[in-house]
Amino acid sequence: MARDYAADISDPVAGEIVSNVGVWVDKEVVPVASDYEHEDAFPQPLVDGMANLGLFGIKVPEAYGGLDLSFECYAGVCMELARGWMSLAGIINTHVLVGYAIQEYGTEEQRQKFLPRLVEPEIRCALSITEPDAGSDAQAIKTQARRDGDDYVINGQKMWVTNGQRAGVYLVLTKTDPAASPAHRGISAFLVEAGTAGFTSGKKFDKLGYKGVETTELSFDDARVPASALLSGEEGRGFQHVMSALEVGRINVASRGVGVAQAAFDDAIRYAQKRVAFGKPIVEHQAQQIRLAEMATKIRAARLLTLDAARKKDSGVRSDLDAGMAKLFATEICQEVTLDALRIHGGVGYSKELPLERYYRDAPVMVIAEGTSDIQKIVIARNLLRDYPV
Amino acid sequence: MNIIVCVKQIPDPETPAASFKVDEAAKKVIPAQGIAPVVNPYDPQATEAALRLRDADGGGKITVISLGPDSARDAIKHALAMGADEGVLLSDPGFDGIDNFQTATALAKAIEKVGEYDLILMGRAAADWDMGVVPTGVASILGIPVVSVAKGMEKDGAGLKVERVLDDGFETVETSLPAVVSISNEFGEPRYPQLRQIMLAAKKTVQVWSAADVGLGADEIGAANRWLPLEALYVPVVESNVEIIEGDTPEEKATALAQKLRAAKLV
Repeated sequence: MARDYAADISDPVAGEIVSNVGVWVDKEVVPVASDYEHEDAFPQPLVDGMANLGLFGIKVPEAYGGLDLSFECYAGVCMELARGWMSLAGIINTHVLVGYAIQEYGTEEQRQKFLPRLVEPEIRCALSITEPDAGSDAQAIKTQARRDGDDYVINGQKMWVTNGQRAGVYLVLTKTDPAASPAHRGISAFLVEAGTAGFTSGKKFDKLGYKGVETTELSFDDARVPASALLSGEEGRGFQHVMSALEVGRINVASRGVGVAQAAFDDAIRYAQKRVAFGKPIVEHQAQQIRLAEMATKIRAARLLTLDAARKKDSGVRSDLDAGMAKLFATEICQEVTLDALRIHGGVGYSKELPLERYYRDAPVMVIAEGTSDIQKIVIARNLLRDYPV
Repeated sequence: MNIIVCVKQIPDPETPAASFKVDEAAKKVIPAQGIAPVVNPYDPQATEAALRLRDADGGGKITVISLGPDSARDAIKHALAMGADEGVLLSDPGFDGIDNFQTATALAKAIEKVGEYDLILMGRAAADWDMGVVPTGVASILGIPVVSVAKGMEKDGAGLKVERVLDDGFETVETSLPAVVSISNEFGEPRYPQLRQIMLAAKKTVQVWSAADVGLGADEIGAANRWLPLEALYVPVVESNVEIIEGDTPEEKATALAQKLRAAKLV
């Protein structure tokens, strides 16, 4: 028996899609997620299942063979995937994000070359921004792409690349003009294909959570790519393009926060009705009722905030303020809710027998990845100041 | 091969027992609040069977029929999203409270109205009343063979070879067509609707037929004309007792248990 998690989706067809993905998650993901997670094993059968449903083509335009569904639908789908296992929504995140960047900013040649291959998917995508000495300060990257005839030669080191070993194409942020001021005008993004000579995927990080999906280093050692690999074909636009695409990533991560929090809450409210302490189910103790009410209210607010940001993105207007607020709120409440769910479960929640500990370990990556909470607050504040000129 | 699949929308069988309530005076199940009805779990397997036969046969049309309220469109849409071609909703206030025989009659009339059919597939039973008599009833009214509780089937010349589930094994039978076949859960997992199919299904129109549209008179429908009068409807009280079998060794406990079972004439 599942609640109707698609109830807040405004479009009926998108609602049906979200419901159907939810059924798949309940039957195929929930029973096995913790096993994969504890072994840190890549869930190939689940990824195959996602591909069979058509999830990898969810945002690819119809002209390139995709489904071209709304961001609202995408957000709902990501919430459901994360309700089963946060990593699955992570696997699809950079794929959709890079696909969006190609669709919005790629040349027609790049669209035709890559977008049809993202649908099945013949290839999956990874995004590579972060470096050992450049995280939130993305303009401080050192990886360089130097023009050499009809090619660019890339050198540098990247970190924290989701899908880093299994992607077929990587959107890599580089500096084509290290002396540019401001720095972002010297930043360009390249579509680097797996197998490019001099480009290697390094070690896989052992993480607190977000397991199953590989997070790796990337090395570029005189990696030569054709000039046609430069996103949009124009130098100095990469930072702007990637930051725009990150709005899509923030909707994804906000949705992940909602999904994981929902899973934790669902388990907690059921357990609270079964667990007896001091002669009655613990849910009859007012302290637990208050806790559950606060958890549910936070999740609902996060869900609506996230769907609202997605709808704004669908409307075609700038949505970095909304996506930033959704990402900030949904991921922060996810941490709170997963801890509250642990409190309700007590000792058994701390055990690996139940998925509570997984939810709790998965929550922190979401307040860090795709722009930390502090960065979101800066984004939000800058937008607000823009809207309140004096 | 043209196939008709009958599907039903039912209260979610996973509804917690505490949420399952019956209005004993009205002899009706009270829908559980906040729990949406679902497709009868056996029915997607019937749709899956139809899709496999169509794929193997290289063509034909799959029409889905459901008898129920307007919400039963969702059950039809689910089958369409799996890949069925057309949908018909049999809906009429006069269908409220009817029994299995009236349901079979209405479905048979609707099947006749659809016209061209080679095979009619249904789930082995509806998981709400769990009686499993509608397939036989439909076949009887249409005057065609019925094969119940199938776990597999394949086209066999002009007929169909069907593997049935028995209490103590399986048997393979052959039937001419047209026929009714009810599909068991042993048939295998139904496919998940793909996103593209869900989008296509949303564009398909579900025809709505009333009792009169299929030629049913007022004296054939309605709870007052049930063949099977419903005397009482209630949630049974289940009593359970736990007894701990004492003994110093496993052998002593087993002996004591066997004696108790024998005394209770259970072994």
